[in-house]
Amino acid sequence: MSETTEKTVEQIENPASYVELKGINKHFKDFHATKDANISISKGKLVALLGPSGSGKTTILRMIAGLEHPDSGEIWIDGKLVNNIPGSERGIGFVFQSYALFRYMNVYDNIAFGLRIKKVPEKDIKKRVTELLELISCEGLEKRYPSQLSGGQRQRVAFARALAPNPHILLLDEPFAAVDAKVRLELRTWLKEMITKLQITSIFVTHDQDEAIEVADEIIVTNQGRVEQIGTPQELYSNPASPFVATFIGNSIQVKNFDRFRFFEKPEEDVTAILRPEFVSVYKKGEKVQYSKSVEEAVVEDIIFRGSNLEIKVRLHDNLISSVRSINEPAIEIGETVDVFIFRLFVIFKDRIELFYNRSLNNETVII
Amino acid sequence: MKRKSIIPGFGLSFGITVTVLSIIVLIPLCSLVVFTSQLSFSEFIYTVTRPRILSGYYVSISTAFIASLVNVVMGLILAWVLVRYNFPGKKFLDGIIELPFALPTAVAGISLTHLTTTNGWVGKIFYDLFGIKIAYTRLGITIALIFIGIPFVVRSVQPVLEKIDLQYEEAAFILGADRRTTFWKVIFPEILPSLISGFTLAFARSIGEYGSVVFIAGNTPYETEIAPLLIMSELQEFDYAAATSIALVMLAIAFVILSVNAFIQSMVSKRVSGLA
Amino acid sequence: MDIRKDKGVLKWVLIVICFVFLSVFLLLPLVYIIATAFRAGIQGYIKAVTDEYALKATWLTIRATLWAVGINTFFGISAAWCLTKFAFKGKKLLSTFIDLPVTVSPIIAGLIYVLTFGRQGPLYGFLDSHGIQIIFAVPGIVLATIFVTFPFISRELIPVLTAQGTDEEEAAALMGARTFTIFRKVTFPHIKWALLYGIVLCTARAMGEFGAVSVLSGHLRGKTNTLPLYIELLYQGYDFTGAFAASSILVIMAVIILILRLVIEQKGKKEIDINR
Repeated sequence: MSETTEKTVEQIENPASYVELKGINKHFKDFHATKDANISISKGKLVALLGPSGSGKTTILRMIAGLEHPDSGEIWIDGKLVNNIPGSERGIGFVFQSYALFRYMNVYDNIAFGLRIKKVPEKDIKKRVTELLELISCEGLEKRYPSQLSGGQRQRVAFARALAPNPHILLLDEPFAAVDAKVRLELRTWLKEMITKLQITSIFVTHDQDEAIEVADEIIVTNQGRVEQIGTPQELYSNPASPFVATFIGNSIQVKNFDRFRFFEKPEEDVTAILRPEFVSVYKKGEKVQYSKSVEEAVVEDIIFRGSNLEIKVRLHDNLISSVRSINEPAIEIGETVDVFIFRLFVIFKDRIELFYNRSLNNETVII
Repeated sequence: MKRKSIIPGFGLSFGITVTVLSIIVLIPLCSLVVFTSQLSFSEFIYTVTRPRILSGYYVSISTAFIASLVNVVMGLILAWVLVRYNFPGKKFLDGIIELPFALPTAVAGISLTHLTTTNGWVGKIFYDLFGIKIAYTRLGITIALIFIGIPFVVRSVQPVLEKIDLQYEEAAFILGADRRTTFWKVIFPEILPSLISGFTLAFARSIGEYGSVVFIAGNTPYETEIAPLLIMSELQEFDYAAATSIALVMLAIAFVILSVNAFIQSMVSKRVSGLA
Repeated sequence: MDIRKDKGVLKWVLIVICFVFLSVFLLLPLVYIIATAFRAGIQGYIKAVTDEYALKATWLTIRATLWAVGINTFFGISAAWCLTKFAFKGKKLLSTFIDLPVTVSPIIAGLIYVLTFGRQGPLYGFLDSHGIQIIFAVPGIVLATIFVTFPFISRELIPVLTAQGTDEEEAAALMGARTFTIFRKVTFPHIKWALLYGIVLCTARAMGEFGAVSVLSGHLRGKTNTLPLYIELLYQGYDFTGAFAASSILVIMAVIILILRLVIEQKGKKEIDINR
């Protein structure tokens, strides 16, 4: 059986590999930027590469684009090994972090650039540019120069320029980093709608977990050059594959002495637990609650107003624990003694992460 | 004049600046204006349109223009090589570019003259092989002006080339542009303003250049007599009116050249910074 | 970075072009001066450079250079401070005037001083009655030298001070520091390399100035001849060995200046990197 037919079979069997990275390593001098990365992205998905700065996420994106070359490993796109194919022939559109719009070309010429390189007839270019300007709602701006556009418009034009040659994959490097907070929220929604509409496989880099969770279908978490986990936002939340993911995703605190919490036991090994606000409930004394028999007392140290809700910080066995409480519930004050109930927590073992539940959750019915 | 700054020393520094500026620059320039106002207009026109004077302007401007063009091409190549490549001797190359600023013009002038006479190391080769004379011709003047102008273009393009963000080239690369297209469509427009600026500076300097040119020119009337030399000869004959008239025209030319550049640069910065 | 790599052939062709161009235009004249200076042997060379008039010319050159560097440093610092730390009307005009002298032909620079202080000038009567002679005398030479190097130091300082902003000075002023304390403790550390760089450039130009000085000197041997003028004199008297020997002094100074320039640039860059 020849290799190509083998590939076809594999593709039918595993449609989840439109873009595939196998055992990728990349060094910059002494810095090991990517360590044995294996990634597989299926067609039409909107994927986020999420990690702290220096985690190697941008390097992965640039290697897919052909802007960097891996020291070892294979990059496959649409069933083709592309290691030796230049970036411009990989069918890729790239949106740069600061957009890299050509300053001396107007919007029209910027969007037309890739098409002119491909020697597309000027008539067709005009059609395509007009179409794209309509798509990004920037009709009438074609004569403007990049400096005469707002941050949001620049982002859209960069998006249109990348899309002009009809790429199969769209890569975006920190696409929202260069605009201010308010525009960023707008653009996020816009970009998600656009990409869903166009059905184009897209990968974007971000260090902002909210951004990744809100926009992406799937998230690839990177840390120190390694791919830590690939999964949907829900999966990352509920089943973190590594301590890093458990701490990086969500607003979490670490707890050492969790065996002192009621209805939790510590295993023999020396382990740490991770606690998220949504794992904890805080009740006013005397409030009628389901688990009233299993709560323990704590003192409120701080209350932070979060707009739609309140973050309550309580001191429990030397840990400052956060919890979220609706503003519609009876008010709690700083210094007040409250009841605290912990539903569950992640316990980090050397080789795995386990979810520990409050034992009273199983026993409640039995005990009462 | 409103002063909002809490930093002290405005009066002192402003006073020193204006005083020294007045003594060194403004008062002497004013006396040029005063002296000019005493000239009769017809006399002025007569002086500056004498064929010998006109030919002086022509020699100065044409040789300066050609020399500056050569420097634009060589300056671009030099800046490119210094910014983009690594090679042994790079520091040395970067260092000697400034030589024309550091070497006194008269010294450069006599050396270039001796090298390019028909007996000189270089001049002999050109004369024997091609029958071309360099020293005491307009070619010689051009050579001297190339020498003078080398640093201007390099030093104006180099920093701009260094600052060009790699992202522009990457963007062009992903859109399929080859090196040549990327250079002409993406990089060249970025450095063009600095290239123009370097050209104007070299051109303005070359038109007024005296020390390096006066030896190699040979100073044959109508052939290799440059405008600054004409001012000098009028001065030596104590004909201040004629000298001033010629100088005024030269100042006007320099002013026009620099204004054109200032205009171009302001257009460019408007486009790039969006302050339209 | 690999998308910036050019094909090997193009790279080396361009590098070779640069080396050939600079060797012919810059190095050859330099080598030629040294070679010719020693044509009459070491003895002849020593005799030429220790000639009474050569020494006098060197001394005058040094004096004029010191004056120009001193005044321009003083002026450059106050002008840069004034133009970068305060906002006031006419700022643009002031900076244009400061830059004006470099765009004026050196011959014209000489001319305006002749017109101001010469026999037909408005100040002549006053100066003459007090026995002060400016043109065709040392003060004229000094003035001309200051003029042609006028913006050299302020031009180096202004970009550095602009980039630095006014925050630090404002903070110091709020804490009650006085002008000189602010300058010495806050501003000066930022500009010291730029200042040194400006001084080096100013020195180079000042000691080599030919055209403007030539107009004003009156060519009195041993009295108003600077080194470049003395070289011209020897050259026109067909004493080529003497001319090139005297030139070699200036060549050595030029080379020292180029080396200083490189060293200062390196140190300044390092300091800036550390401060980041």
